[in-house]
Amino acid sequence: MRFITYREALHQSMRSALEKNCNSFIFGLGVTDHTGIFGTTLGLEGEFGGDRVFNTPICEEAMTGFALGASLRGLYPIHIHIRNDFLPLAMNQLINCVAKYKYMYGGLFEVPMLVRAVIGRSWGQGGTHSQSLQALFAHIPGLTVVMPSNAKSVISTYDYVVNHYRSPVLSLEHRLLYEYSFTVEPKSEEIINPLTSFLVKEGSDVTVTATSLMVHEAKRAADFVKKHEAIEVEIIDLHCVSHPDVELILRSVKNTGKLIVADTGWAPFGVCAEVSRIVASADPSMLSRPVINLSMAPTTCPTAKALEKYFYPDFGDVVHAIYTLVFETSDHGKELPSEEHKASQYKEFKGPF
Amino acid sequence: MDRKTYEKLFYDALRIRMVEEKIIQLYPSDKIQSPVHLSIGQEHHVVALIYHLKKDDVIFCSYRSHAAYLAKGGDLRKMFAELYGKKTGMAKGRAGSMHLCSPEVGLFGASAIVGTVFPHALGAAYANKLKNNGLVSVVISGDGATEEGVFHECLNLASLKKLPVLFVIENNGLAIHALLEERQSYSLEALTSAYGIPYYLVDDGFNLELVWNRSEQILSSIRQLLTPAIFEIKTCRYYEHVGVGLDYDKGYRTIEEYETWRARDPLIVNKELVDEFQPQIEKEISEAVEFAELSPDPPKEELLTDVF
Ligand SMILES: Cc1ncc(C[n+]2csc(CCOP(=O)(O)OP(=O)(O)O)c2C)c(N)n1
Ligand SMILES: [Mg+2]
Repeated sequence: MRFITYREALHQSMRSALEKNCNSFIFGLGVTDHTGIFGTTLGLEGEFGGDRVFNTPICEEAMTGFALGASLRGLYPIHIHIRNDFLPLAMNQLINCVAKYKYMYGGLFEVPMLVRAVIGRSWGQGGTHSQSLQALFAHIPGLTVVMPSNAKSVISTYDYVVNHYRSPVLSLEHRLLYEYSFTVEPKSEEIINPLTSFLVKEGSDVTVTATSLMVHEAKRAADFVKKHEAIEVEIIDLHCVSHPDVELILRSVKNTGKLIVADTGWAPFGVCAEVSRIVASADPSMLSRPVINLSMAPTTCPTAKALEKYFYPDFGDVVHAIYTLVFETSDHGKELPSEEHKASQYKEFKGPF
Repeated sequence: MDRKTYEKLFYDALRIRMVEEKIIQLYPSDKIQSPVHLSIGQEHHVVALIYHLKKDDVIFCSYRSHAAYLAKGGDLRKMFAELYGKKTGMAKGRAGSMHLCSPEVGLFGASAIVGTVFPHALGAAYANKLKNNGLVSVVISGDGATEEGVFHECLNLASLKKLPVLFVIENNGLAIHALLEERQSYSLEALTSAYGIPYYLVDDGFNLELVWNRSEQILSSIRQLLTPAIFEIKTCRYYEHVGVGLDYDKGYRTIEEYETWRARDPLIVNKELVDEFQPQIEKEISEAVEFAELSPDPPKEELLTDVF
């Protein structure tokens, strides 16, 4: 077992992709500069050469279509964007082409590729540098969308998709996770499909299904409510939001009867809506209380710190949601985490980017 | 150019520089939590060009727009308050540095998504044309933005619809850390001439008089003919792409280049004028900062207003 940061896991995965899959190549704005996509592509151009790792002009749509063409001819493109907010410029290629190529042409073609894009937060990223657009993409049949929440997920998912998966994958990486450290165990040789959800922690009182950074908020909340009220929270990391493990979710909710969905995006038409749909269409009587959604406020992210703190749900909100379900009232009167306790997680991130 | 005009341009450019320097000074305090793309080194051409715009002429900008905001007449106090994320900011603390605007002086928006605002300027030019109000529309953007497909689409559209629009391309030779040579295969002049759009170039954006003269000529021809033009200005981004550091040690460009520009930067060379104007500007800036510091945060209720 060893410690590695999310950033290091990404770098290791990029290097390993180039090494193991000789058809793979990495490109995107800034992949070859001295910052190397927050350190995740550093040194790779030097090691693997400019044909396999290159910077591009600022032309997201063209580069996405370029990836499609290259993939059709046997290459494995890895396209990186420092913000997922730049993906809307490539929407036609992603939605009308990349997602449809296999099915629409009767299975004659496959366009495997990996698109990595970063979700920004804090330090005034504001309306167009902080969105969390998983729902837009997961909505489209043909696109596989993952949101790795830890180093192990990064390593196993990227290894799998680059070497064994034949469909296009979009991975959304949360900027605040880059500095987090994780323990990883030595990789087993067995090939396990990581395009699903994971049980993070068992518990019999409440189920929290979460994405990305919210998995960590859920973990902190679970520790807090266990310590203060001996409540046992079950946490599911949805991870592959386009293909969540429905059985795992239903089994858990059947057991706890209480569900919180904690997502980094907006709730309407999003991951929160989707998980509720899954439960409601399977058996709504499993729920003993209404579902609670934790998501970004239904508006554009403001830059002001004073508003941003209300815009994002934090672990205090998860704690409050857990108490609301367990004590069957939002007037539970229980003590919530202090402001300092809540802020401790974010204080490491200092902007601008 | 007469002395008085020169001094006005100098004053306005120095004011922008000193605002940016104030931001640099404040940044480590964490009071400004907004990614800033400083205009330092790129003030000169902006004041010289905007001098010839009427208050109601419309402009659109990229995220690197502190200079254009101030030159067009945007309120300095509201700008600092915006950077501080205060309720009194020009967008109530929602826009930050990357999305400055000021409709009362014709700045109708700035975008942090590269290339986004070109078509906005075209639409505004179309409205001006239909209303026959004699106003022009100007879009100020970086060299990198011309790589986006939308720029090429806009050249076609501007020419086809004969729109009174000026594309101003601030060529600092960089897009983040990438040099122009590794990004572009075209010459802007040849490209725009293919669309029948007149192209103008000033090689030295620090030359206030040159930019001022050329801008006057370009803008009066747009007003007269009601057709588009493009104006490329070579300039130098002194600081790192985003943030307040100098990053000449990172290897993607040389300090010599910076020093060459600095050696003929009027805001450095003309010490006399700097000394003369500094006290007054300093006073204005410290008042603006104080205004921002003392302003209230936006209240929670404002999170969900103005959505629809
Ligand atoms: C659509 C899009 N792609 C990528 C980015 C990331 N990005 C921000 S600024 C920039 C460089 C733009 O260079 P240029 O247009 O020359 O403007 P400058 O910063 O030099 O003023 C890039 C690539 C972005 N903001 N939007
Ligand atoms: Mg540039």
